Amino acid sequence: MSHLLAITVAAPAIAAAVLLAIPATARTAIRVVSLVGATVSFLGSLQVAALYDRGQGGLQLLDSFPVVPSMGIYLKLAVDGWGVALLILTGVIIVTGVLASWSVGKRDKEFFLLLLVLVAGVFGVFVAQDLFVFFLFYEIAVLPMYLLIGIWGSSHQVPAGGPFKFVWKRFEVGSKEYAAMKLTLMLLVGSAAILVAMFLLWGHSGARTFDLQVLEGTKFPIHIQHLVFPLVWLGFGSLAGVFPFHTWSPDGHASAPTAVSMLHAGVLMKLGAFGVLRIGMVLVPDAAQWWAPIVGAVAVINVLYGALCAASQKDLKYIVAYSSVSHMGVVMLGVATVNAAGWNGAVYQMVAHGIMTGLFFALVGLVYERAHTRAIAKMGGFAHVMPVVAGFFTLACLSSLGLPGTAGFVAEFMVFAGAAKGASAWWAIPGVLGAFVTAVYVLRACKAIFWGPAPQGEYAQLQDVQRTEWAAPLVLGSLLVVFGFWPRLLLDFIDVASQGYLTRLPALALAQLGAP
Amino acid sequence: MNAWLQIFALDFLVAGAALVVLGLDAVGSVSGRVLGWLTAGLLGATLAASFVLELSGTAPHGVYVSGAWVLFFKRLFLIAGILAVLGSIDWLAERTPRRQAEYYALMLFSLSGMMLLPGARDWVLLLVAFELMGVPLYVLAAYAKTDGPAGEPKLGPEAGLKLFVTGSASSAFTLFGLALVIGTTGETRLSALPEGGPSPLAAVGMLLVLGGMSFKLGAVPFHMWVPDTYQGAPTPFVAFLSVAPKAGGLAALSVVLLSGWAPQATIWAPAVVALSAASMVVGNVFAVPQTDVRRLLGFSGIAQIGYVLIALGAGTTEGLAMALFFIATYVFTNVGAFLVVHAAAQRSGGHELSNLAGLSRRSPWLGAALLVFLLSLAGIPFVVGFWAKLFVFLAAWRAGLTGLVVAGVVLAVLGLFYYLSVARSTFMADGTQAEPVRASPALSAAIAVCLVAVLGLGLWPAPLVEVASRAATAFMQGQ
Repeated sequence: MSHLLAITVAAPAIAAAVLLAIPATARTAIRVVSLVGATVSFLGSLQVAALYDRGQGGLQLLDSFPVVPSMGIYLKLAVDGWGVALLILTGVIIVTGVLASWSVGKRDKEFFLLLLVLVAGVFGVFVAQDLFVFFLFYEIAVLPMYLLIGIWGSSHQVPAGGPFKFVWKRFEVGSKEYAAMKLTLMLLVGSAAILVAMFLLWGHSGARTFDLQVLEGTKFPIHIQHLVFPLVWLGFGSLAGVFPFHTWSPDGHASAPTAVSMLHAGVLMKLGAFGVLRIGMVLVPDAAQWWAPIVGAVAVINVLYGALCAASQKDLKYIVAYSSVSHMGVVMLGVATVNAAGWNGAVYQMVAHGIMTGLFFALVGLVYERAHTRAIAKMGGFAHVMPVVAGFFTLACLSSLGLPGTAGFVAEFMVFAGAAKGASAWWAIPGVLGAFVTAVYVLRACKAIFWGPAPQGEYAQLQDVQRTEWAAPLVLGSLLVVFGFWPRLLLDFIDVASQGYLTRLPALALAQLGAP
Repeated sequence: MNAWLQIFALDFLVAGAALVVLGLDAVGSVSGRVLGWLTAGLLGATLAASFVLELSGTAPHGVYVSGAWVLFFKRLFLIAGILAVLGSIDWLAERTPRRQAEYYALMLFSLSGMMLLPGARDWVLLLVAFELMGVPLYVLAAYAKTDGPAGEPKLGPEAGLKLFVTGSASSAFTLFGLALVIGTTGETRLSALPEGGPSPLAAVGMLLVLGGMSFKLGAVPFHMWVPDTYQGAPTPFVAFLSVAPKAGGLAALSVVLLSGWAPQATIWAPAVVALSAASMVVGNVFAVPQTDVRRLLGFSGIAQIGYVLIALGAGTTEGLAMALFFIATYVFTNVGAFLVVHAAAQRSGGHELSNLAGLSRRSPWLGAALLVFLLSLAGIPFVVGFWAKLFVFLAAWRAGLTGLVVAGVVLAVLGLFYYLSVARSTFMADGTQAEPVRASPALSAAIAVCLVAVLGLGLWPAPLVEVASRAATAFMQGQ
């Protein structure tokens, strides 16, 4: 099938179009159509993995349609090794996400419609080989979040405290409307930076084209590169949660409904890191190497600061959200190493963290739906009433702190190994320290929620996992273990791409580059 | 005589339609709704004729040039007119049943003035056309003179008066500037310029003309009338006022600057850039605190004009083409947005943001349509506003206006904030009113056309880009 990638990207969008024609009262039909759309994409991504020739590497399964040929914009789809791994991740998360949102109570037609549109955008980003189309898909993936969080989200339930209490009250910090607006605006500022960077690349490529392959082959003047890289880093980085542009993430993820948190923390944040890697590192390699130490240093701040913030949260969703900030720091650290081990680790961490955080949010969603609270202080001993949830939550915790045998370990190990090999070996030290703090907060949260004496009163009758709710824990939980024990499954794809892109990097000594 | 007919056929048709409407009203018992549909039909027929008839040519002494450029604008004005008339029919029949024919006739007269603008190459013709476009608008702005809550000051007369006073002032500006310019050249030809470059006196005159024309565009600092007039005038008319005269102003400004004063770009280009920057900043910033949707859209319109002026400031063929693309898409987007707000306000009794609350449930399709229009105004991909902004920025970037582009991109994010605030009350707020909102067939048809255009061109902008480029190229080649 020559249009395999197009089908994979379009399936959710087509399902969304079909949803338009279904009356809002046909609740089962809405869910089935959404599930079919998601499943087609998932199967498509598996088929992509099956067809991708790892021996050959590079871009494969090329598919091209003209959009605005006069400006050099083509809808050109193709996949590299990174793309394969991330397509599979997206497929897994959307299928389990649809199943996890089976019980959405209000305006479910619009919910699934927006969810499907969003995921079509995500699939598109990973396979777009035209910078402009890349950007378009990126925007589709970002924008539906506003409505998804604003309408179906939940607001903060732990009363505001601390020295900035008045700010919270004044601006309704933690409410879903606040979170939705903050997320959209911060990410759109990032998009604006990306747009400017795109123009710079387009204007200086000489070919008047957005084709990524042509741009890769172009050697941009060094002063342009020094303009483009920071724009790309901060533009895409704002979505990847790069410090200090991460502040939308805790609010947004905490307020979003279950499936949206899963998708956003699980996949969307990866779009940001993927953008820095695919656009920043590959297109402007000279500047990227100069900036890499700064990117790495900021990533280390992310790891530590995110972990410390997570450790001090009292709201369950905020803990998971801040842990994402910390783990995305690991990804960015891997990106900054500019060597094969680090890049492999970065992409592997994208997948591992995507699955893990998807599992986290699915379980947190289950707990919230039943207990109607996000305040950890009110919980305790839930393992007595929901043993399955407790078991999988513990598994996610263990992967989060990087226990050998889970996907998290493989990824973090590779990133830290890459960092130790790289120019700034000291990065590995705070990085590992961050992993230690992670262990502290996840285990503490896990204990506070699930272990201890059996809950009394209103929480004594909480139900365990039911019907479609099994899907997310079962699939994501087992994948964490599978990818932990058998990393080659994905690593073969990832490595082929990392090696390929690394050979293109000019072997310039940093000293020759000089300051911008 | 034939040549005249060929060049001015469309203008004659529109002016003739106005006379037909007035005549029918005078002879007796034709209902207002019929007149409305008749007006829309005649405009539609004129639009169809523009595709059939051979209309290009040049009037004696080159005072009027008709070609691709003129046709582009004439069709745009006709489309805006049709949409506005369709949006007005039911409002007029309900609120001012005794004076409906005048409304249509005035709108048609204003349209015929607009249609004369883009081809004019002589100051006298240009000014007469400009006034013919402007004067009927003063009357129309005050049309809802008795509307509004009892016991409170009526906003309609205020709207009309503000438009009239600022409009007259702008004419005075223009005329005084022209006195200086023509005084130094001694000719009324648009491109007539003194040998050896303009004197300081003529330069002052040029800037005065630029300022006078900017009133119609609503560019800062000539924007004060915009929010108040939008708030007080009948909303279906505001839909027209917010797009057609702006397109007319753009046409006139392009003719004056790029055809007439192209060699003097060093004088006017900085002024246009300043107008553009000020409009973007003021429009976007002042839109944020607005609670009345019409005022909000008014300030947003000021900001949008800033984006158009970026392209004009570029002074290149490409920039002009992108300005044309922008204004054409703006017609559909803004008319659509105002008409949805109008439909919602008809049932909710007001134009406040709170009146839009829960619109997406009271009428899912109107809610979705409004969201599409808002996203288009904000410049979000896959609706046409994105391409419009992108093309404008791209053209300006290539012309070296990097600072304006960066400012525009940053302010566009601010724009997103207030557009999303409207979306927020439409989709998220729980309103006190729950009864469904229904738009009348005519209104629905107008909104549907806008929606199809915004979505269709958003997915496939190439055809309109082609048309706009052809028009701009023809214009720059003097046709």
